[in-house]
Amino acid sequence: MSDLDRAIEQLRACRLIPESQVRELCYKARELLIEEGNVVSVDAPVTICGDIHGQFHDLMELFRVGGDVPDTNYLFMGDFVDRGFYSLESFLLLLCLKVRYPDRITLIRGNHESRQITTVYGFYDECIRKYGSANVWRYCCEVFDYLALGAIVLGASSELEPTGSSMNDTTQSTMPIDDGELETEVLNSHGEVTSTSYRPRFRPSSVASNDSRNISPPRDISAASGSTGTPTRTGVPGTGASADGNGSATTSRTGAVLCVHGGLSPLIDSVDKIRLIDRKQEVPHEGAMCDLLWSDPDEIEGWGLSPRGAGFLFGGDIVKQFNHLNGLSLVARAHQLVMEGYKEMFDGGIVTVWSAPNYCYRCGNVAAILELGEDTSNGGTIARSNGEYGRSNGVLGEGNTVVSPGRRYRVFEAAAQDTRGMPAKKPVADYFL
Amino acid sequence: MNATHLPTQPSGHAATYPSKRPQEISIQGFRISTQKLPILKADPIEEMTKKLGITPPEMIFGDNYVMIEHEKSGWGINFNAFDALDKVDKTGQSMLQVAYSKEWQSSREKTHEGIKEVVKPFDWSYSTDYKGTLSPSAKPFENTEKPIPIQLLMRPDPILFFDEVVLYEDELADNGIAMLSCKIRVMPGRLLLLTRFFMRLDNVLIRLRDTRVYVDFETREVIREYQSKECEYEKVRQILASTRDDIPALMRDANRLSEVLPVVEKHSERIVLDA
Repeated sequence: MSDLDRAIEQLRACRLIPESQVRELCYKARELLIEEGNVVSVDAPVTICGDIHGQFHDLMELFRVGGDVPDTNYLFMGDFVDRGFYSLESFLLLLCLKVRYPDRITLIRGNHESRQITTVYGFYDECIRKYGSANVWRYCCEVFDYLALGAIVLGASSELEPTGSSMNDTTQSTMPIDDGELETEVLNSHGEVTSTSYRPRFRPSSVASNDSRNISPPRDISAASGSTGTPTRTGVPGTGASADGNGSATTSRTGAVLCVHGGLSPLIDSVDKIRLIDRKQEVPHEGAMCDLLWSDPDEIEGWGLSPRGAGFLFGGDIVKQFNHLNGLSLVARAHQLVMEGYKEMFDGGIVTVWSAPNYCYRCGNVAAILELGEDTSNGGTIARSNGEYGRSNGVLGEGNTVVSPGRRYRVFEAAAQDTRGMPAKKPVADYFL
Repeated sequence: MNATHLPTQPSGHAATYPSKRPQEISIQGFRISTQKLPILKADPIEEMTKKLGITPPEMIFGDNYVMIEHEKSGWGINFNAFDALDKVDKTGQSMLQVAYSKEWQSSREKTHEGIKEVVKPFDWSYSTDYKGTLSPSAKPFENTEKPIPIQLLMRPDPILFFDEVVLYEDELADNGIAMLSCKIRVMPGRLLLLTRFFMRLDNVLIRLRDTRVYVDFETREVIREYQSKECEYEKVRQILASTRDDIPALMRDANRLSEVLPVVEKHSERIVLDA
């Protein structure tokens, strides 16, 4: 067993590794991250995760629900540290996994991966408390500066393979509409389907020839794809049947998915412009890099200034335009707490994924991860639509809109209190005045 | 809150949390109750946004409350998030700006002249001078100079009931914290409730607004005291710099800050309830 594997073991048990080993780990991580572009390309299948915030035991629960590294390919959208009690254990474990399995885990930067923010919101204090000096904090901050700013997921399937029958037969709307393809599925932490949505099948040709290889990570994949649709539906508006060069129903026509921590920036109109940023620095207070890590979608038109006096808000039209120009079908981001663990906005053009259940140990919210399956219909060829080569995508006819990927949300709750090694938080009576 | 053991149902709000019944105690004709539930889900938040006319804080415990009722007189007071937020300035007149706002905006002037509109301006620090919601039939308070009898509250009488209930909290987009929370303790002869609004806008301002409600069960006298304190962030930091303590930790500790912040407003009211 290598030192790295031992470190992983130890961190999984929520025990810290020695300072010298942290230094070495951070050095290796930096060497690895410096080779990554500002926007990392990731192939589906992939499981996309939002904020963790030092909630180590809940991160373990996330791995239990989503599958372990390296079996599952993960993409974490930042905010690993601050607020929770175990920022060090959480971040160092993720970093060890990154160094050990660089192709199976992607880490991008959140606004909390910053010197300034970590001194205010807990990570700095935690380093001092657990290591007795600021050295480890400094090593970690150096790694933060090298984290990528975003990721592009390519080759995601537009249709989900249905999960094995739900254990609990009371779920609603599990009956596929005639000839519909499974677009979204929500599962609880026991792997039971709690809701599903279907969209009309894209093309009128027969779909019986589905390749039923697994499209996404582990568990519960039933081979029967239930889709023996009849070739009558004309599909979503604007998707002419002629667009299709290939008899398979699941031709890769899914746009790419951009993953960033916060959101879009008025300075960034193409994914390529993100690639031009000099990212190896502390998160600035303004500019494109700041916006990507800080901005929020809102129910407005165009761009707006946050009432706080710094930071942008962007509306559905901005997302739609950005996605269209870049051949994207979805922006996945984190950054904002959502009670249900995920929240889709703007007709599914953007989704917020939140992966810290019972946030700050008191909000009582559930968390979610987003699984995108692999499109296996095209013999592994991936339609490039990441803005790099334009949208010269053979399968997309003129005027066609890209179809969003099938999205499977696994919702989970906070780890049971007894695994946390600390008592449930109960208010202690005190003689306050 | 051992909220986390029950399986999640996608439907109802209450179902996602251990249905923790309101806690309560009845003593000498008074009934004191509290309820703690998880933050609101998307739909209730949307509803609240419409009713309030402002975006609610990030963590909104809309189902939580603390209530004191006097059965005979029908007098009652409760503390809840909606009413507290309804008292937040919704016009943007008392709007603060984060520390690096100037720097941020000047950098934007050239590149993005088009984007000038501040989206829905309001006091996003969620500062409220909320002193509680009186029951509809309650007789109003009268002004008084009489202080809350601190000496009686410093005695180590047994605490029969205690709870701490957060009503809302916002991280001010990682520029500090705003939090409204209530604490209540009930002793055999009296109770004390403290509702505290604490706001720290990093490098700008620290603000504390306390509402204390004191009830003497024997005399049925209720005293309500409101006290607002605030000070610029840098001044506070300088005052604290003379201590040998950990400054960042102090800046998060409302109790310690309360000792150094100057009072900007204070007044008291009282009422004696009918027997």
